[in-house]
Amino acid sequence: MTYDKIIIGAGLYGLYSALRCGERGEKVLVLERDAAPFMRATYINQARVHMGYHYPRSFSTAIKSAHYFDRFCKDYGFCNLTGFDQVYATSAHFSWTSAAEFKAFCRAANIRCDSVDTDLYFNPGMCDGAFLTQEYTYDAQILKKWFLEQLALCPTVEMRFQAAPTAIRKAGGAWQVEFCGECAEAPFLLNATYAGVNDIHAMLGFEPFKIKYELCEIILCEVNDRLKNTGLTVMDGPFFSIMPFGKTGLHSLTSVTFTPHTTSYDSVATFDCQSRSEGKCCPGSLYNCNECAAKPASAWPYMSQLARKYMLPELEFKYHSSLFSMKPILKASEIDDSRPTVIREYSDAPRFVSVLSGKINTVYDLNEVLDNEQ
Amino acid sequence: MNNKEKNFVSAVFYLHNDAERVVPFVSELNAQLDAHFDQYELVAVDDNCTDGTVDKLREWAKGLAKPLTILHMSLRQGTEQCMNAGLDCAIGDYVLEFDSVEMQYEAGLIWQAYETAQRGNDIVSVRPSHSSRTSKWFYKIFNKYSRSAYEVSTDAFRLVSRRAINRVHAISDNLPYRKAAYATSGLKMAVLDFEGYAKTENDRFDLAVNSLVLYTDAGYKISLGIAECMMWLALAELLYTLYIYLFGGYPVEGWTTTMFVLTVGFAGVFAILSIIIKYLSLLVDLVFKKQKYMVESIEKIQK
Repeated sequence: MTYDKIIIGAGLYGLYSALRCGERGEKVLVLERDAAPFMRATYINQARVHMGYHYPRSFSTAIKSAHYFDRFCKDYGFCNLTGFDQVYATSAHFSWTSAAEFKAFCRAANIRCDSVDTDLYFNPGMCDGAFLTQEYTYDAQILKKWFLEQLALCPTVEMRFQAAPTAIRKAGGAWQVEFCGECAEAPFLLNATYAGVNDIHAMLGFEPFKIKYELCEIILCEVNDRLKNTGLTVMDGPFFSIMPFGKTGLHSLTSVTFTPHTTSYDSVATFDCQSRSEGKCCPGSLYNCNECAAKPASAWPYMSQLARKYMLPELEFKYHSSLFSMKPILKASEIDDSRPTVIREYSDAPRFVSVLSGKINTVYDLNEVLDNEQ
Repeated sequence: MNNKEKNFVSAVFYLHNDAERVVPFVSELNAQLDAHFDQYELVAVDDNCTDGTVDKLREWAKGLAKPLTILHMSLRQGTEQCMNAGLDCAIGDYVLEFDSVEMQYEAGLIWQAYETAQRGNDIVSVRPSHSSRTSKWFYKIFNKYSRSAYEVSTDAFRLVSRRAINRVHAISDNLPYRKAAYATSGLKMAVLDFEGYAKTENDRFDLAVNSLVLYTDAGYKISLGIAECMMWLALAELLYTLYIYLFGGYPVEGWTTTMFVLTVGFAGVFAILSIIIKYLSLLVDLVFKKQKYMVESIEKIQK
């Protein structure tokens, strides 16, 4: 079969691209190795719709992020949970940012930052400043449902699940992609596989992204009424965050030191646990960590301990479940410019584009490559 | 069945050029914690070690199942500041503080300290039966003037609850002298003794003076006492001068006038000094202490 575009990966970036092109009537094929869309990083993360608070050292990124925030809320507001107090606090010790610096930064970036009493949430002496901010959390399942409904209205978009590409080659002015014993071709190939980005590069012989991989755990918690409508993020250093997880009624708990379980510095992810995955996972072909038999024991004892040290005892939370996923992180040289999204074109005719982004609302960065037909 | 304790324990220890001692210490400590606790962490504070202590620790920690945090201090800062940093980093419900990695006691005391804490003690201090003369003197003065119910003395290590840590931080952000802060926190403290001798920290004279000022009445009472004595002395002298002036005697010419000026002047100076000292002690209290009272617990008796 011949298509206008083949998109590998049915995460947010993949489906966004499919919908944008499908609405123009382009013939699009989406290949996904899991049984459904949004099974990995789009679902398994803090579910934060970023406003820019995370870039206290880069005003330009913060301002850009704030702009995207408004746009995302306008387009996908239906999946956002907005009615809760999102509190950012600066840790009194070991933080790279102080309360005064954070406030100055927010003022410069023109984003909301109202001082609140740290005693409302934290044990004495733990935080030197707390701020009410404007930030939301999205519900990946609602977003998925919406995308599937919209895509159902696009007859030219075809989605194939449990269909990992087995081979990709260049044939004249098109890419030939083999999957499930079939073969499809298109002059445009979009690699939106996130943690699998270098696996696709390896198939094609392109230079890998300079990334490291972290096997991450997001803990879902049940919380009491005191914490129900509150999200807490302690920064800027080895701290934690506990905030609503979309509209699920649960909170996600993550920490900078305990969320990553193991790290791989190889260009394609290589982990000890792969040998215990019953043959489903290997370097160059990552299985879904959340479904894997070899997923690690929960870091709940440590993460909860860290959070309890900071939080007032009346803000109660207890373990509900864990979600695991693989997170690729750009190495330092590329982080310097603070751009959360990297889009690279490796080939012109046929076109090959890879996207890697850890932030949901920077998805609009893709428009440039999707709309610009060369 | 796993019958280990479910409370989370952090062990914070101070390192300064302890290449020989660090590995035996952490092995022993880890064995003890592993035997009794489900969840624990180790926090090492590296106070600018230059003899490879940290490398040895890293080597030892390979394959360690529990988390080990190594805090590297920017430059040498001494035990108190380093242990404060370690304490701020620790996440446990209980924190074991080892100011030194020299283990001159039975490792089993670590577990005993925890059991003692479980009986309602927020602070457990583990002490040797003997210590040096200078430190004995210091603690004697300290305890005499301290308003705390508990005596402070040389200790080998201590166990503090999260509640105690929160409490001392609520009283003051910075802890110039943790031991004294705990003892005066108003929470229950227990002592475990062991047969042995503890070395005295010799870089601590300044610290000793500071903690006497901050945590006890010694400075205030002594200086106020001296000022008052001098004032009374000056007043007595004034009376004597009055007596001579009224009832004769043959002093040198001009003696009475001079003496009047001197005694009245000095009595006034010392009276003002007493007031100033009172003000100063109030200022120290206001600046250093955020809470004026400390409650151990509230007991209600009802019919």
